[in-house]
Amino acid sequence: MPGEADKVTNGVRVSADIGGTFTDIVLARDDGGVFSLKVSSTPDAPEQAVIKGVVSILELAGARGEDVREVLHGTTIGSNTLLEKSGAPTGLITTRGFRDVLEIGRVRTPDLFDLTWSKPEPLIERWARLEVRERMAADGSVVEPLDEDEVLETARRLKDQGITSVAVCFINAYRNRAHEQRTAEILRSQFPDLAVTLSTDIQPEEKEYERTSTAAVNAYVLPVMRKYFARLAEGLRAADVSSPIYVINSSGGLSTVDLAAEKPVYFISSGPAAGVTGAARLGASIDAENLIVFDMGGTTAKAALIEGGRISRANEYEFRAGISTPSRFIKAGGYLMRAPNIDIAEVGAGAGSIASVDPGGLIHVGPRSAGAVPGPACYGLGGINATVTDANLVLGMLNPVALAGGTLAVDIERARAALERDLAKPLDTSLEDAAVGVRAVVNAGMARAIRAVTIERGVDPRDFSLVAFGGSGPVHACDVAHLLGIRRIVLPNMAGVFTAAGMLAGDVEREFIEPLSTLLEDDALQAAVKRFEELEQSARSALLADGFRLESIALEQSVDLRFENQDTTLSVPLNGIGEPGSAEVLRERFLQEYERVYEYRADDAVELVAARVVGTAYRAGKLDFRSYRLTDADSGKAAKGEREVMFAREAGWTPTPVVNRHAIGKSQRGPLIVESSDTTVVVPPDASVFADEVGNLFVEMEAQG
Amino acid sequence: MTLAHDPEFDSYDPITFAVIKSALDTIVDEMAYNVMRTARSHIVRDVLDYSTTLCDRYGNIVTQARTVALHLGAVPDAIAAVLARYGDDFAPGDVVIMNDPYEGGMHLPDIFMFKPIFFEDRLEGFSVVVAHHCDMGGRVPGSNASDSTEVYQEGFRIPPLKLYRQGEPDESLFRLFEKNVRVPDLVIGDLLSQYATCRMGEREYQKLLARYGPRTVERYVAELLDYAETMTRRQIGAWPKGTYSFTDYIDGDGFTEDPIAIKVTITVREDDLLVDFTGSAPQVRGALNSTLSFVKSASYLSVRCMLDHEVPNNSGVFRCIEVHAPEGTILNPRPPAAVAARALTGYRIVDTMFGCLAQVVPDKVMAAGEGGNTVVCIGGYRPGTNEPFILVDMINGAWGGRADQDGIEGVTNPSQNMSNLPVETLEARYPVRIDEFGYLPDSCGAGRYRGGLGLVRTYTLLADEALLQLRSDRTRHPPYGLFGGEPAAPTVNILNPESDIERLPGKTTRIIRRGEQLRHQQAGGGGYGHPLERDPQLVAHDVRNGKVTSDYARKHHGVVMYADFTVDIAATETLRRSGSEEQRKWPEGQHA
Repeated sequence: MPGEADKVTNGVRVSADIGGTFTDIVLARDDGGVFSLKVSSTPDAPEQAVIKGVVSILELAGARGEDVREVLHGTTIGSNTLLEKSGAPTGLITTRGFRDVLEIGRVRTPDLFDLTWSKPEPLIERWARLEVRERMAADGSVVEPLDEDEVLETARRLKDQGITSVAVCFINAYRNRAHEQRTAEILRSQFPDLAVTLSTDIQPEEKEYERTSTAAVNAYVLPVMRKYFARLAEGLRAADVSSPIYVINSSGGLSTVDLAAEKPVYFISSGPAAGVTGAARLGASIDAENLIVFDMGGTTAKAALIEGGRISRANEYEFRAGISTPSRFIKAGGYLMRAPNIDIAEVGAGAGSIASVDPGGLIHVGPRSAGAVPGPACYGLGGINATVTDANLVLGMLNPVALAGGTLAVDIERARAALERDLAKPLDTSLEDAAVGVRAVVNAGMARAIRAVTIERGVDPRDFSLVAFGGSGPVHACDVAHLLGIRRIVLPNMAGVFTAAGMLAGDVEREFIEPLSTLLEDDALQAAVKRFEELEQSARSALLADGFRLESIALEQSVDLRFENQDTTLSVPLNGIGEPGSAEVLRERFLQEYERVYEYRADDAVELVAARVVGTAYRAGKLDFRSYRLTDADSGKAAKGEREVMFAREAGWTPTPVVNRHAIGKSQRGPLIVESSDTTVVVPPDASVFADEVGNLFVEMEAQG
Repeated sequence: MTLAHDPEFDSYDPITFAVIKSALDTIVDEMAYNVMRTARSHIVRDVLDYSTTLCDRYGNIVTQARTVALHLGAVPDAIAAVLARYGDDFAPGDVVIMNDPYEGGMHLPDIFMFKPIFFEDRLEGFSVVVAHHCDMGGRVPGSNASDSTEVYQEGFRIPPLKLYRQGEPDESLFRLFEKNVRVPDLVIGDLLSQYATCRMGEREYQKLLARYGPRTVERYVAELLDYAETMTRRQIGAWPKGTYSFTDYIDGDGFTEDPIAIKVTITVREDDLLVDFTGSAPQVRGALNSTLSFVKSASYLSVRCMLDHEVPNNSGVFRCIEVHAPEGTILNPRPPAAVAARALTGYRIVDTMFGCLAQVVPDKVMAAGEGGNTVVCIGGYRPGTNEPFILVDMINGAWGGRADQDGIEGVTNPSQNMSNLPVETLEARYPVRIDEFGYLPDSCGAGRYRGGLGLVRTYTLLADEALLQLRSDRTRHPPYGLFGGEPAAPTVNILNPESDIERLPGKTTRIIRRGEQLRHQQAGGGGYGHPLERDPQLVAHDVRNGKVTSDYARKHHGVVMYADFTVDIAATETLRRSGSEEQRKWPEGQHA
């Protein structure tokens, strides 16, 4: 029976994803039963919503605090701290002559011809960026020894000014860490309450701005994140939940909460990453290896790529106030972090994005968003601007009376009025044409995010299935797919809370990297074998220390290569240490990969840049997307009726059946609207849909004429 | 409704229009990213001195990536030269390159590459990548000296030629590259990067043509150009009509320190502009001469900076700007004048245009910035080897104060949008150490909104001997302020600042030896509005951050501070009153 729990026979695992409006909680029982819940977020003390949600869902699932085996968590604390500039008073200690590196950055501007632009305030102001005498050469030799007295004096000055967290970054420390490490020793022994971040502890790689900025972000968010995790653990313990807590890192892997508290820069994009890893797990369960992940919420849409079961990752990204541009080659105007992350493109197009017309007659959507408050015009909560949701409502895509399973009342007349005023009038067109236009523009924006992770990488989106989730993903998925020529769309069960569900399916990962910086020759490859052995040892030890058993740990090796004098590398996987043995074989493998991406080969020397080992600990009892049973309020309900929907201008109003998700079985032709409590699925006329045993929906688009 | 409708094109659809526009923008951005990831030289892969565009078959720029802005306006003239040479003799798989300043190019290091885009056997447009190569041969490493006197000294000169014919490389041209440039691996590596990117642009454009049909895309592309023109005309139409003039200067051409005048007269007509450079200096002996194509480009760019953000970056904007520069001047030289350092002239054109436009749209301009990037080129042989190295380092920059906010420090010149070479990357690859890279306090021009601070960069040579070429400016004509704002501190170059101090001129070519140091202090940005009107709290903030000293605060802003960086309000008011009679006077006429 829905809502009524069976007795818990074993343990449960709980996940929590904090969003702007709601905190999503999902619970999986060892017997395969799954429960989900949304509670209002509590932005001032985000852990409160998590704790409250965990207590409620345990009740719902008939479990007790001590039954919880693990709590998995995706948090936006890091990104919010940066967005709101609410981090700790932070200082920087750096090499004499280089205090301005952090503020100078890479000197570009995000756009051309814009004389109104301003750089964001650096996280550490100039007065708190102090220099000490020391210098390493590019080969790691000491040019000038560390002036230890100056370190002490500098730290004292920073403390006197109220600084509580310090980043240390010295020029060429990536070649020799001794001065940074000695500085940390001095600071930790003399100023034990000062939080210290060393640039080389975070990412020991060339390029001083990138390393300084990464250390600065870490230092800035560290005290906030540390306190947050402490409060979370304490609150959960008070609810009798004293299981380990794992946190999703920006790369989508799970890490221990202790690591998250020490190197929070790895956890800034904790939230969105979980959705992508979840999609990869889902993909594995439905035998789909090539997926485009599409997550659309209220203010932004995100896209990521899963190719051959592998998630596309990047080693650097920039946090900006507002919306990231999909033009990722620009390094400007944000807080740069060199931290492994999932290559997620984000555009300012969401359900709450505001639509307008410029004086030349072009429709624009976003990046301004009406958010949850005041919300779209149709909410009647004070929002008057026409939004994407209003356009969807006018076109019949959404329920004209209430959304979110009937819990959120809407007023279609307000939506019509807003669209008429903001779009139809200035465009001199009909209301419906204006609404179709808004949808077309927002869909094009989302397609642009997807292009950034596909076509820019030399990948044809038509070879992929689109996995769509987030509250609004399933409303737009088919149209976005159509724009890109994608034929198959997957709409997971629990699309509205999919990110939290995805965490439960995750594993714990630790990545270890060692720079090699040598030409690809047989001798160098032999020497790299030793580095790989050390990296494997580090990865294994780290996971054993996290409490995993040896047999649950798997290690993957890869090597980063490039042509000599290039900057960007390509990663080539190896099948174990010592493979492939000869430089010639590895070179050929690199050339093949290079040609696949860039469509040409060169005869030049190839450089071994870095060795990489990823250790994965497979969690026992993780959510299996093949065999879970979702317990929700919609179970057993059938068709809901019919309404007129306008899918395209040419087609006009089309009578369209409206059904419950559980009513979908074997293949059914569109048009069709599927309503559930967490989202609405829009299936256009030129498509068909079917469901699998666990409730995932699959849409097949017909060939385009 | 303001869109120009074509009566034969009755199926005009604003939605398809928007989708095609964003698709074009995406393609050129993807091209730019592709260059960055595949290039070999630091000047391209780190400093990002390149640009990517798509053109229609007539050579109109359809859209441009967020790369070097100043390349934008020179592409149409470049394509015209290619078309003049080849007419319609193009086949699928052809690729044309060129760099000759007297046949469509700008200066020799900038190699234009064009790939004709074919669809269903018809030429539909061009995929274009312009990249600054780190060496083109000639008398000095980097091929970028200010003190060359004829183009023949400046390196390997390439008229429009096919580098590939129907997909097959022209081996003779590649071999000529191998023999004529100092670092062929890097140059050819970057050429291949351009080639791969041109192909990618072609492929993506073909996809767009396949999706919407070539004739539909053509219509919308024409519409996009018209749209940019319409928006430009509407905005210019709202500017006060009249004729305005401004003169700015370059310090000297590397041979003499006689000031070189750049004079512009802008006439705001009904809904377009006449930009006339009559009165500018005659062509010079050194390499500062600029081709007319580059002068046009700098003029377009300056006007584009005054327009609203939504105006698309394409040739439609250019139609509203008529540019004139008399032949035989520095802005339209006769061959074989040397042109390698013409970028500097381009920067000064932009400064001059901004100074002139300040009289037309005072809220949209900024006071003068640093005056363009400084180029430090150090070339020689690695210690103990005969392996050549060429460091081409570019230093940028500062913006002038604006109507409602300060200038920016540590920022690209708005003409360029280039990046900087990381100190660690530089030191790992070249026998050079950087001893300092930061802001120079007090180097800003004071104003209600101050200019950005100038940058300092100090180099120590770690090889036995090298040839130093320095191209900097604003040593004698510092960046001007506007509306009572003060000029910034000038550029200063010092050899061996810690021992036998020697002031170097702005432009120099000379041998330096192991251990010798070059300290470059770049000019800051000029101020905007009267310095005594600056909010004392902003001054205090700058003093706390060590961006200006308390002496500067007192002298320029009349702000008196306590030791804890708070403002002594009473003393400040008194000081500001006493100084205001004299200091409040606005400089007459020119602000420089």
